Amino acid sequence: MSFCEARFFEEKSSNIVVENGVAKTLGSGIISGIGIRVIVDKRWGFASTNATTPAEVDRASSDAIGGARSIAAEGVEEAVVVNQKLATDSVVHRAKMNPDDVDPEEKVRVLLELDKVARTYSDRVKDTFTTYRDAVTTAVVHNSFGTYVEEVTPRTYAYCRVISKEGSNMQTGIEYGGGVAGFEVVNRLQDEQFSRRAAEKAVKLLSARPPPTGTYTVVVDQRVGGLFMHEAFGHNCEADSVLGGQSIVADKMGEKVASDIVTIMDDPTMPKNGHFVYDHEGVKAEPHTIVRDGTLVGFLHSLESAAKMKAQPQGSARARSHQFPPIIRMSNTYLAPRDMAFEEMLGDVKRGVYLTGMNSGYVETQKGQFTCRVEQGWLIERGELQDHLRDVSINGLTLDALKNITAVGKDFKMDSPGTCGKMGQGIPTDAGAPHFRIDGIVVGGRQ
Amino acid sequence: MTDHVQGIDLTAPVERATRSLSQGGLDFYEVFASYSRSIRIAIMGKGIKDTGSSVDVGIGVRAYKGKGLGTAYSQSLDPSDVERTANTAMAYARVAQPDPFFKAIPGPSKAPDVRGLFDQKVADLVMEDVGGFAKEMMDSAEDVRLGAMYEGGVSAGCTRSYLMTSTGVSVEDERTILSGNIAATYRQGEDTGSSSEFDYGVSSAGVDFNWVGKRAAEKAVEQFGSKRVESASLPLIIVPEPASSVFFGLMAAISGEQVVKARTFASSLLGKQIAPDWLEVYDDGTLPGAASSTTYDGEGVPTRRMSIVGAGNLRAFLHNSYSAGIEGVETNGHAQRGGYGVYVGAGPANVVVKAGESSLDEMIAETKKGILAISADFTPSMVTGEFSSTIDEGFLIENGEKKHPVKNLMAGGRILDLCRNTNMMSREGRTFGKGHFFPSLRISAIRFSGD
Repeated sequence: MSFCEARFFEEKSSNIVVENGVAKTLGSGIISGIGIRVIVDKRWGFASTNATTPAEVDRASSDAIGGARSIAAEGVEEAVVVNQKLATDSVVHRAKMNPDDVDPEEKVRVLLELDKVARTYSDRVKDTFTTYRDAVTTAVVHNSFGTYVEEVTPRTYAYCRVISKEGSNMQTGIEYGGGVAGFEVVNRLQDEQFSRRAAEKAVKLLSARPPPTGTYTVVVDQRVGGLFMHEAFGHNCEADSVLGGQSIVADKMGEKVASDIVTIMDDPTMPKNGHFVYDHEGVKAEPHTIVRDGTLVGFLHSLESAAKMKAQPQGSARARSHQFPPIIRMSNTYLAPRDMAFEEMLGDVKRGVYLTGMNSGYVETQKGQFTCRVEQGWLIERGELQDHLRDVSINGLTLDALKNITAVGKDFKMDSPGTCGKMGQGIPTDAGAPHFRIDGIVVGGRQ
Repeated sequence: MTDHVQGIDLTAPVERATRSLSQGGLDFYEVFASYSRSIRIAIMGKGIKDTGSSVDVGIGVRAYKGKGLGTAYSQSLDPSDVERTANTAMAYARVAQPDPFFKAIPGPSKAPDVRGLFDQKVADLVMEDVGGFAKEMMDSAEDVRLGAMYEGGVSAGCTRSYLMTSTGVSVEDERTILSGNIAATYRQGEDTGSSSEFDYGVSSAGVDFNWVGKRAAEKAVEQFGSKRVESASLPLIIVPEPASSVFFGLMAAISGEQVVKARTFASSLLGKQIAPDWLEVYDDGTLPGAASSTTYDGEGVPTRRMSIVGAGNLRAFLHNSYSAGIEGVETNGHAQRGGYGVYVGAGPANVVVKAGESSLDEMIAETKKGILAISADFTPSMVTGEFSSTIDEGFLIENGEKKHPVKNLMAGGRILDLCRNTNMMSREGRTFGKGHFFPSLRISAIRFSGD
């Protein structure tokens, strides 16, 4: 055996569901267990168990070793890991208001207030759904390099979905917030009137129309921009995709992949939803520059990809829980700001589309084709925002789009706490950008 | 894997939780525990990347007091953890407010066992077997064309679960699942041909790994030379895989509390014409050997065969007991329980669309200019019913023939228009997991957004 790693994971969570002014469900959950990963006979083996008794952990270890040996005869690329600097540390992220110290009744009271703000916004608001979730995760990584790190992280979120109705026209508005923090997140969101914003969106979308179809210059807000950087480009820079032949930038290190005004970072040290101090291989997290002034300068690495590509791991391997092996993931991904004002950016657009609010997105990394569904948009006519648009999606080819970024604003914001899915593992991430402008993006619709 | 599935006792922890809950002055309660073991092989790049095995055990409790719901789950079946889980659910139920829509949870029913949901051969698979399946997929892809980079995997698992409720439901279930998927990517200069395929089933005989690898490679090679297409309204032909997203999207919009609480575009459509009068869709949770079949649904209610769309008319919503209570009808056995994680929703079991009389070749031949979608997700917004979807893989059709693959192309519209404007349906189609069946469809016109 040339490498072994044991990773304990525990997550204690609680949640509240408020629907139309009724806190109808309160819940809690505990997941915990151990994941064992080994390199035996130059092959990877992984096994996990929820039961942390010595006998079950021994069984998991045997399963991991047996699994690796079972593929020893296959023509598999040899498993390797880069020599890792030993780390011994214990990190506890302190919340200002520990969710466990807040009575469930108090949580319910605050959630009901949030829901009420949305519900009473307009008589066209017909349905409100406000949820809360807090989770404290403990990850302990111990490996054969001697690394032993423990990290305890609280995360707290709130979400509000509003449905508005006028005749047969029904629309929805969503707001959400949260990250590495405690119950103070909910108080902040309350101050920011986030549920009111959800209601306002839902009601205003009643008078919006479907977008025109075709290829346009688009200006995107911080949430759409963050989603674009994460989906369209970030996944292509995960070194496991690069090594697996699934990335369009596999052979483009050191080359121009974007316009000169584009600098893309992934930074797990930022105190946002993708924040951590040690990744799940026990590597200390550092900011990673992926694209600097349009040139590809870095990939995101695990111990394995760093060994194979002769790079330094900077802490990008994470696992959803003990039930999964760590794989390469983004953390807080963003486009760095420049100096253009939003109004100036719009002013140069004769006819285009302004897009705000992310809904969902995906990328086919091997083809470099991305799709982003956004919350709403506006037509841009001669530099002015005109018709309000709903049900908008955009599609593009990543490398074309990056080269067609013609303006980057100065109003940076990272405010998209979410969960990124990859290989069946959902991981907390965040994404951000300033407003920016791209030429030649396909806008989908039915008109 | 067999010894693990049969060797863990779920009865004692479920009964322990039940005892605690029965003393809590609750109106209703449910306890659900499950135990599963799985093995998997991951494929990446040129071959097998790694192996994995997992044991997953847990218990979930739903407790109702004064129409308020408290839930809790734990991955530990230790007696103290089981009691803590039950106590937490009870405590939360007392804080939760009365849900005016909640009526009751179902009582016991008896139904004949749906056969063929457990295959001992799958339960007995070892890592070498699963690795063999992975290799079979890659070999069959290499037979089509050498030199692909791959991503995918094979997994095999078995699960045993036990549901017990305060209303007398006591249901055990045991099942196996075997699945394989592979994406093949070929490079040719700056051009890329890429596609993926999958298959799954209860039994090893039900999954054709050779076909999965071959189809992924064949489809990938066909995608070389993709070109952009101008924006236009054109006929759309969709093969069974993207057709499944149309019907699953429709099923999601007619399921559970979302539809009866008027949160979906389909809330007012019961009894109305939503498709041509020749369209028939039914749902059947009793199909023997189908991966999505179950004798009882997530609340212990017998599953059944049920007409969903008959003569183009929406005949039924898919209910669990909660949504049925709101509508004032009996549940129709569509509760879906997401494991011990305590959420109970509603949805279809096996969606079967009655085959048509045309063929995919005829649809293409009869299309002067249109788009053939091989891979696309037409799932609409549940609220508005509108979709805006990228044609991930597809072809431009001209004069009855596939002209070239497309890229950078989106289709947009209302899902109900797509259903109503379906004017051809194929007699051949694809069966998924030995249960779901979808034919190919031809839609008279869809708005495409491209160059």
